[in-house]
Amino acid sequence: MAEVATESRTLSGPGPGGRRPRTKGVSEKGLGRLFVTPAIGLMVLVALFPVIYAFVVSLRAYTGRQYEGFAGFENYSEALNDDKFWASLQFTFTFTVISVGAEFIIGLGFALLMNQAFRGRGITRAAILVPWVIPTVIAAQMWFFMFNVNPGFINSALGLGEFNWLGESGWVKFAVIFADVWKTAPFVALLLLAGLQTIPTDVYESARVDGANAWQRFWHITLPLLRPAIFVALLFRTIEALRVYDLPQVMTGGAFDTESLSMVVQQYVVKTPDPGLGSALSTITFTIILGIGVIFVSLLGRELVIGRKDQ
Amino acid sequence: MSATTAGTGRSRRRSRGAVESSTSARTWGKTALLAVIFLWCLFPFFWLIMTSFKVQGALNSANLFDGPFGLANYRNVFNQDFHLNLRNSLVIATMTTILCVVIGSLAAYAIARLPLKRKILLLTGVLAVSLFPPVALVPPLYELWRTLGLLNTYEGLYIPYTSFTLPLTIFILTTFFAAIPKELEEAAKMDGASPFKTFYRVILPLAAPGVFAAAIIIFVSAWNEFLLANTFAPRDPEVAQTVPVAISLFTGAVDFQRPIGSITAACVVVTIPMIIVALAFQKRIIAGLTAGSLKG
Repeated sequence: MAEVATESRTLSGPGPGGRRPRTKGVSEKGLGRLFVTPAIGLMVLVALFPVIYAFVVSLRAYTGRQYEGFAGFENYSEALNDDKFWASLQFTFTFTVISVGAEFIIGLGFALLMNQAFRGRGITRAAILVPWVIPTVIAAQMWFFMFNVNPGFINSALGLGEFNWLGESGWVKFAVIFADVWKTAPFVALLLLAGLQTIPTDVYESARVDGANAWQRFWHITLPLLRPAIFVALLFRTIEALRVYDLPQVMTGGAFDTESLSMVVQQYVVKTPDPGLGSALSTITFTIILGIGVIFVSLLGRELVIGRKDQ
Repeated sequence: MSATTAGTGRSRRRSRGAVESSTSARTWGKTALLAVIFLWCLFPFFWLIMTSFKVQGALNSANLFDGPFGLANYRNVFNQDFHLNLRNSLVIATMTTILCVVIGSLAAYAIARLPLKRKILLLTGVLAVSLFPPVALVPPLYELWRTLGLLNTYEGLYIPYTSFTLPLTIFILTTFFAAIPKELEEAAKMDGASPFKTFYRVILPLAAPGVFAAAIIIFVSAWNEFLLANTFAPRDPEVAQTVPVAISLFTGAVDFQRPIGSITAACVVVTIPMIIVALAFQKRIIAGLTAGSLKG
């Protein structure tokens, strides 16, 4: 520590000489307030305020973009009676449950493998960043063409002939979900690997001495100790999956019941403008996603508290 | 390896040879399985590159090695003003990164180190914003931007990007600031440095690797954003149309048929620099990603 302290002295030393301590500059409290103000200000102005504004707009009637007067909750009843809304809600939930589930299982498998292997671990860790760094729109185009009949790469690899993945209502969902799993399972693996590396190896050693087999070690040691990392990964992935827009928009344009909530909201903004209905739908979407997020976070909070008590 | 040290003396001697050969077989098995992960991540990209070089009839063939190959697709891409899209994305992502890093590191330092009232409330608020679905902003911001004349401008995109990426930035940087030993600040304080001077002369240089990691992650997320870009600046590469929007809209000679050649070529142009950045700063990015999420 002594060495570090002298280093910091030379760092702060060369300023204009001979100051008495604690007379110059803003106090720590003032500085704290000053430092958080821009962040809070921006988030209030560009995140909180628009959400409130959306609620206000959702109570108004419009024809095209023309304001027609107060509408009460008419936009909401229209939204909730819209089959499109329910179809998109169903697709969004199906997409979320299946893709997050698959990503979690594959990601956990990848993480366990990478945690154990010695040879080639560095290069695999590097490769895992590639799907993460590729823009989702590019991943969508790429998988669109791979699944597409022409040139039919996946069909020829699986020997399926002219099977039209993107033209069958069930299989098109599979294709969209598959593209998402490809892109994000490695990311989940990365988060879980970080969690695995915090588990001390001597826990495994003593379990092994006690005669626990690989499955028992996984079930009774790895999984419980990995719980916080699993929760965080699931939270992030669930919230992101519920917001899904890029993949179905680019791969299918919403055909064959693959329209997500975000796509429906966006459509009432640009394609068939109706600010009132669009805002009502965005407020509903916001409530659903934030609600699920809050449930997750409170579960996570409880989980972390329990975890700490255990230790 | 550890298995050989675990057993009792006699069983250890008896089984040593068997254990060693089985561990080496197991190591090879694991390496083979790692190759699966490797292929999972990289093979589609290999497909993309091969396809982007195919020309004419070769584009209709499922076989990756069917020629003829050439650069025609790349020429097409830049004939469609793709360089303007690259410029727009570069400006918007850079502005987002600068704003996020400046505003975020101030806030993160205050949260990690300075005495603040209602810190828990503040962190809850930041977490809540990180859970916001961006689509909730689309209708209201569209109306606002239309009134303020911010549709089809750089500002119209990097301002919301900044506010959306701030929570993640704050989480990542708070972790990094909190990891810097407190003694350093105390020493600076003893020497009479003001709190602000302590921040930018002592803490900020030490946090530079963390700030850098955060900057890459912010840049990547701004570069990849599609929903707001597609809503607020859907057309015109001259003005503010970004790369993902352009890639989603590429049109070919025949309407309603996606030009596979130009699209794959554009994808390769965009992806190669990003992969190089990801590989070059691999360790820092991973540290940043895990710090940001494990904190959250």
